[in-house]
Order: sequence, then structure tokens, then C-alpha cells
Amino acid sequence: MSTSTLTATAAPTRAARRHPSAGRRLLTTELRLIGRDPMTLTFVLVFPIVSMLIIGGSFGTEPDEVFPVNPSHWYVASYFFVVIGATGLIMLPVRIATYRERGVLRRFAAAGFPRWSFAIAQMAVGLTAIAVSGAALLAVAAPVYGVPAVEDPVQVGAGAVLGSVAFVSLGVLLGTLLPSARAAQAVGLMLFFPSFLLGVGGPPPAVMSDALAQIADKLPMAMANDVVRQGWLGLGDATGNLVAVAVMAVVLTALAARRTAL
Amino acid sequence: MTAPDFTTGPIVSVRGLTKAYGGRTVVDHLDLDIAAGEVVGLIGANGAGKTTTVECIQGLRRPDGGTIRVLGLDPVQDADRLRPAIGSQLQESGLPDRLKVREAIRLFAGPDAVDADELLERFGLAHRRDYAFGTMSGGEKQRLFLVLALLNRPRLVILDELTQGLDPAARREVWASVTRLRDAGTTVLLVTHELDEAEELCDRVVAMRAGRVLDAGTPAELVARHAAAVTVRFGLPPGRPARELAEIRTLSGVVDVVRTGDQVAVVGDRSTIAHVGAWLVRRGSVPPDLRVEAPDLEDALLTLLEGPTHGEEAA
Repeated sequence: MSTSTLTATAAPTRAARRHPSAGRRLLTTELRLIGRDPMTLTFVLVFPIVSMLIIGGSFGTEPDEVFPVNPSHWYVASYFFVVIGATGLIMLPVRIATYRERGVLRRFAAAGFPRWSFAIAQMAVGLTAIAVSGAALLAVAAPVYGVPAVEDPVQVGAGAVLGSVAFVSLGVLLGTLLPSARAAQAVGLMLFFPSFLLGVGGPPPAVMSDALAQIADKLPMAMANDVVRQGWLGLGDATGNLVAVAVMAVVLTALAARRTAL
Repeated sequence: MTAPDFTTGPIVSVRGLTKAYGGRTVVDHLDLDIAAGEVVGLIGANGAGKTTTVECIQGLRRPDGGTIRVLGLDPVQDADRLRPAIGSQLQESGLPDRLKVREAIRLFAGPDAVDADELLERFGLAHRRDYAFGTMSGGEKQRLFLVLALLNRPRLVILDELTQGLDPAARREVWASVTRLRDAGTTVLLVTHELDEAEELCDRVVAMRAGRVLDAGTPAELVARHAAAVTVRFGLPPGRPARELAEIRTLSGVVDVVRTGDQVAVVGDRSTIAHVGAWLVRRGSVPPDLRVEAPDLEDALLTLLEGPTHGEEAA
């Protein structure tokens, strides 16, 4: 008996070559949607800027025994990583868990989007959100507190890139593991705020108790922020933390890619 | 991409499909063929294995046993080639709330997509191009899913619980859309527990229970096989002679006549309707309360589902 079959794929037609690939279409769409996402606008764009404006002006501009540099610059350098943390711990988990909960991923899979296209799109969405919100944060900081000169561009660049990749991957991974958007929001906020207060945007380590300072040192977000802040403000070498962030980036990216395959 | 090579074999061929979750068998040695241009409905109670079956056909789940060929391809091994050739309306699936209709079209349209404007027009969504998915009504969302399912000239369209949660008017809208698909010769696999939907839309239905096929055929065949009895009811004034009831009993196709007070119920096969009607006309008075209760697919399925289970059959 003969059967109805799809014949072997031949060379693509000119129209097919001009048509954007499924992966590219998904990437374009996802990038377009982040600007309409209230979670992104609130936690990744607005919250770091408003928090930085408030706390950056609370401790004056002169270094003292608590702040080794201009306190405003300390917080400008720190809050760049708040953007990264909010993207990885709040925006992406909620976004991806919402997609899973509503069957959007099944629809993408059934429509034949390439296996890795969703993972790549979400990585790109996270990194774009960080780049845009980070630039906006610095643009707002510049006329108010000034943006400190970068003392060690290599360390800052490596810390920002590896930290971004690590936290974006963590966000994608959490989004695939948590059962619902509400769960993702709850877990994301619980992970974000202690890290934010202890390790990035809260009081400086010098005013913390020993116990709190030790906990803060071990928080992934604090470790990654330390790499960026130390290099940016010329406060010293952070190679140990940089290696730890690099390992996190590699492991989390592998896990996230595996979990988001369509 | 070259055009699919169509011949006369089945679009879908399933043999011995088995799937279990956590030791519980959901699909149990299921066989299914769907020919080109057919609209086939999978019907059955909740948990019958309908959705799992179509998810295996789509390659979204890996079968535990058996073979599946869709357009000659293995849905799991050949997923990359096969999925673009299948248009799907999945149960409980959606789109991002803020995605606009025209953006959804751009996202899902492959290089060989049909004219989306024409599809949107045909499904009554042309005026909704700039609306976000989250702002659309249930019926509009389902019609958008149909548009997306048809966008890339699919060889097979799978519609799972297409009208679930829709109001009657929206259901009718969606049914009309599927009827247009059928008229255009599209092969459709419809999963539903709305039996009026299956009766209205399907060329053939496959009744399932506990992951197995109970019976298959046209809706009329299933009704004839499993719920054939028709009841004609009418009133006879008190005092009419019992001879008249005896006359009715002799009519062709009549199986039983029951009189309760002044009400008469005549039970028989479908020809009973014509013979009782003719008898009433011959008597010169057609009762004003004459009515016919004809079985439908729901009656047939209920009869099937009330039948013995596999274990009982074996016993």
C-alpha cells in the first residue's frame, strides 16, 4: 500500500531563504514583548533606578570608615547589579513559568519551533533587558551622582558579562522548574530581596554584624556584584569570586538550555 | 521546501500505541487510521486517553509502545520535519497576553504560509489585527488558533477540545469554521467530549474508553449499532379501543407499545417513525402532541461506555 508522505527536503526556495527563520521570528517577538511586560518595567527598569536615587543620596559624597569611596558612587556601581539580579530572579522566572502555565511552550513545540530557539530567545531577552535597564540606570545616575570611572575594565566587563549570563540562566532555569507564575513570583522575590539587601543595594558590609557579613559574602548575587564593584571602584582584585561566577555561568547555562529545549 | 507527495494511503497510521504515566496505562494498544480529507473525531469520557493519543501523534509525547506514522514520518524521530506540516489547536494552550494578532501571524507564519489577511477575513478576525491576545473573547481566541493552525498549509489539522468553555454562539462560529475546513478537503483529527460537535462535524468517530477503541464508524453507524431504538409518543383520547394498540404493534419496525394513561409510546427502529405517522394519517387525525425521540451519538456513546470493560469481556 502506498502512503502519504512528506518527501525529502530539497534546497530552499528564494522566498524561503528571504523569510526569517522560526528561531529568528521567535527572538524578534520575544524582544518586542519585553517592553510591554509590567514585571520587566517595574522590577528591572524602575525599581533599581528609584532605589539608587534614594539610597545613593542618603550617605553624602565623602568616603569614611564605612564607605571606602564616595557613597553615591558605591551605590551607582552596586545598583548596576540590581538590574541583573532582578532580571534573573524575578522577571525571567515569572515570564517563563507563565508561558508554561498557559501552554505557550507546548504551542511553540507543536508549531515546530527549533529545539533550542526558546532557550536562546530567553537568554537574549534577559541580556537585552539588562543592557537597556543598566544603560538607563547609568543615564539617570550621571547627572545626579555622576558615574564613577571604571578602574579595571577587564574585571568589570568579565563580571558583568558572566554575572549576567549566570543570572539570566538561573532565571530561565527557575522558570522551567517552578510550577506556576505565582510560585515563580514568590520564590523569585524571596531569593531577590535578601540578596539585594545583604549583598548589593543595602547597607555596606562594614556596618553589618560578622554573621550577616559572612552570609552576605556567600550569596551568589553578592559574589558577582563584588567582582563588578571592586573592579569598577578600584577596590581590589576579585579573581576568586570571578572564577565562582564563571563556573555558575557555565553550569546554569547548560542546565537552563537542557530544561528549555522544545 | 518541496511540496508533500500525496498519494492514497492514510495520513495517520497508528498501530498498537501504548502509553502509561506512573504505571497507569492511559493508551492501551490503540490502532487508528485517518485517510486524506477525512474529519475524524476521538470521543469518550474524560481520561479515555484521547489527548494523550493526539499528543503522541504530534510527537509531543514519546509512546511506550507501538508505531505511529504521520505523513509517513515518525513523530518523535522526525519532529523537525513533521511538526510544521501539522496545524494544531492544543487543549489548554495559549499565547502571550500582550502578543497582538498580527504579531502572532508573523511569529507562526513559515516561508510557505498562505495569505494571512484572507484567513483572518475568513475567520472574522480581520478587524482584530491590532488587538492583544489577552483582550480577545474566548471565541476569538479559538478562531485565532484555527487561523494559526491553518497558516502553513498543514497536511493534518489536530483540534483538541476546540470549543471547550465557549458560549453557544461562539461554538457555532467555530463549528462553521471547521465545516469550511472539511469542505476544503483538509484532513482533521478532532478530539472532543462534546458529542453534538462530533456528530455535526465528523465523517467518522472513534469511541474510546480506558485507552482503547470501543468502536468506530460514521456517527450514524454508531447510533444505529448502539442506540437504534426510536420512540414515537402521542396522546390517544381515553376510551379508544385496545384494538388500536394492537394495530400499532403489527406495524413494521415496531418492537413495543406502552400505554400510560392517555399517552402512547411506540418503540422501534427508525422505520417506525414513518409507519406510525402513516397509520395516524390513515386514521384521519394526527395528534397535536405527536413527537419523536430519536437516539443520537450521546446515547450511542453512553451505551458503549456502559458496556463491559476489557477485563469483564475477558472474563
